[in-house]
Amino acid sequence: MNDAEPDAFDLATAEPGEVGIVRPQDYTSAEPFTFECGRTIPGFTLRYETYGRLNAAGTNAILVCHALSGDHHCAGIHGLTDRKPGWWNNIIGPGKALDTNRYFVTCCNVLGGCQGSTGPSSTDPATGQPYGVNFPIVTIRDMVRAQHRWLTAIGVTHLHAIVGGSMGGMQVLEWGLSFPDFASRLLAMATTARESAQAIAFNEVGRQAILQDPDWAQGNYPAGGGPRVGLAIARMMAHITYLSDASMDRKFGRRTVAERPPSATQPTAAGTTSDPDHAFDVTFEVESYLRYQGKAFINRFDANSYLYITRALDQYDPAAATGSLEKAVAAITARTLVVGFTSDWLFPPEQNRAIVTALLRAGKNASYAELETDLGHDSFLLESPQLYDLVRDFLAS
Amino acid sequence: MSLRSNKRTVDLQVITDWVTDGARVLDLGCGRGVLLQELAQQKKTQGIGVDLDIDKIGACVRRGLAAYQGDMMSFMAEFDDNHFGHVICSRTLEEVDSPATVIAEALRVGRSLTVGFANYGYWKNRLDALLRGRKPRNDVFNTTWGESRPANPLTIADFEDFCASHGYTIARRVHLRGDWKTPATRLPNLRAGYALYEITR
Repeated sequence: MNDAEPDAFDLATAEPGEVGIVRPQDYTSAEPFTFECGRTIPGFTLRYETYGRLNAAGTNAILVCHALSGDHHCAGIHGLTDRKPGWWNNIIGPGKALDTNRYFVTCCNVLGGCQGSTGPSSTDPATGQPYGVNFPIVTIRDMVRAQHRWLTAIGVTHLHAIVGGSMGGMQVLEWGLSFPDFASRLLAMATTARESAQAIAFNEVGRQAILQDPDWAQGNYPAGGGPRVGLAIARMMAHITYLSDASMDRKFGRRTVAERPPSATQPTAAGTTSDPDHAFDVTFEVESYLRYQGKAFINRFDANSYLYITRALDQYDPAAATGSLEKAVAAITARTLVVGFTSDWLFPPEQNRAIVTALLRAGKNASYAELETDLGHDSFLLESPQLYDLVRDFLAS
Repeated sequence: MSLRSNKRTVDLQVITDWVTDGARVLDLGCGRGVLLQELAQQKKTQGIGVDLDIDKIGACVRRGLAAYQGDMMSFMAEFDDNHFGHVICSRTLEEVDSPATVIAEALRVGRSLTVGFANYGYWKNRLDALLRGRKPRNDVFNTTWGESRPANPLTIADFEDFCASHGYTIARRVHLRGDWKTPATRLPNLRAGYALYEITR
């Protein structure tokens, strides 16, 4: 459900096999798009990137689906001064598991997003103002339907595979349901076919932080403004759910920050100072890290998009209409691999396994693999030769 | 061809012969999917393998097979009665915690259960225990104690007694000698190194 936060990217030590400098592109559809909720917008734009070459038949494409706060930039760098590559750079590139020498890999920012794709911060042509909360309620299925229109327009006739983690995994599943003949392989990681009450609860806390920030202004905040405090809190809280107790302990422990603001420098631990202004300054490294995450997020993410996309996550439930996941997945024809991670407590292994057992009950070709990790939900983003081998084998089979 | 792969061939062929064309097959302890692939090719089965080891699941995935990493009991609990035509436990039962429970559950989700195991009652095993006072080590059990996996070894007599006492029907049986190739028809509990059974409720 997360974008990656890879360590600073050093071009000098980059492995051969980087996709290098990439440029985002925009696909704009001038055809009206009707959302599942019944409302229509006159057209939309999706921002995307591509790596590798599409073959003449248009059949070697792999679609990468991003998680909640991710975007279209999943590999390579935009310029030589970039500190970080795309969020899944470790798995995409020449010779990597998503091998751009063989496959045409592409990823778009979802409908409802805010990084070049049409969403609440886009201008409503009817009013000349941002859509804000007048943007139609967007669903995972809407995101997938918009992607289908885009891929068809850029010449992709068939997908070799669709790959994604977390919300990306939900899109993978929905692709299999909505467009069963479009892809040969579905590969979903750290995902669920239906969020638990706990996952919905975390999203609700995030939304409330935004909705109760006075600067949210019923969604009508100006560009560059808005509920910055609320959005940062939402992000901080969500970020905790992507990690694990063990990984946070290893990364931060109870270490305190080395440098304190001069006025708060006390020989005693924070909280014992008599000055209330400084009692709650950053004391622990983990606090500093979360504050950084929150701050970085508000500079690149739109609060209304956060509300819409978390709502889409919470409402996703393909089994609801048919009464069971087994009946829902009857439409799927692609071979499926689902990968769960032992330490993922947001979308834990059993939710990943449930997708596979439903597919198997329905007589489909589906596999389940579980990686032993202690990195929590974000495990799908981290470097793991075992995961790479699995992905490579699945794509090659 | 090594002795080991020779053994594998006969074992595979007997099981394959017993499986119905196009059946749904569940292979418990599927390893790298050799048997499932054979069944898919020869009998056009719709197979699924279960194993605990991610590398083995990866190998199955590479072969294009369906494989599930996890506990076989909780996996089987997800399926209705008689969902599978055949459940196969090829050299698996010796390593499970509660063989009787696994067999009962396998016979719930499957119409038949195929079991293959090295016969602990094989005369060479008896000699090893009796004369040398050691864990058997010979052409049937070829690892030392230190490199052996947890095992709950069984004999042909044990298994047949077990089936009789639980009311399971032995639909087919094949006993092979120490080379795992030549049939051992007389005194199988003494003379057979390897046993294959198909049982039903």
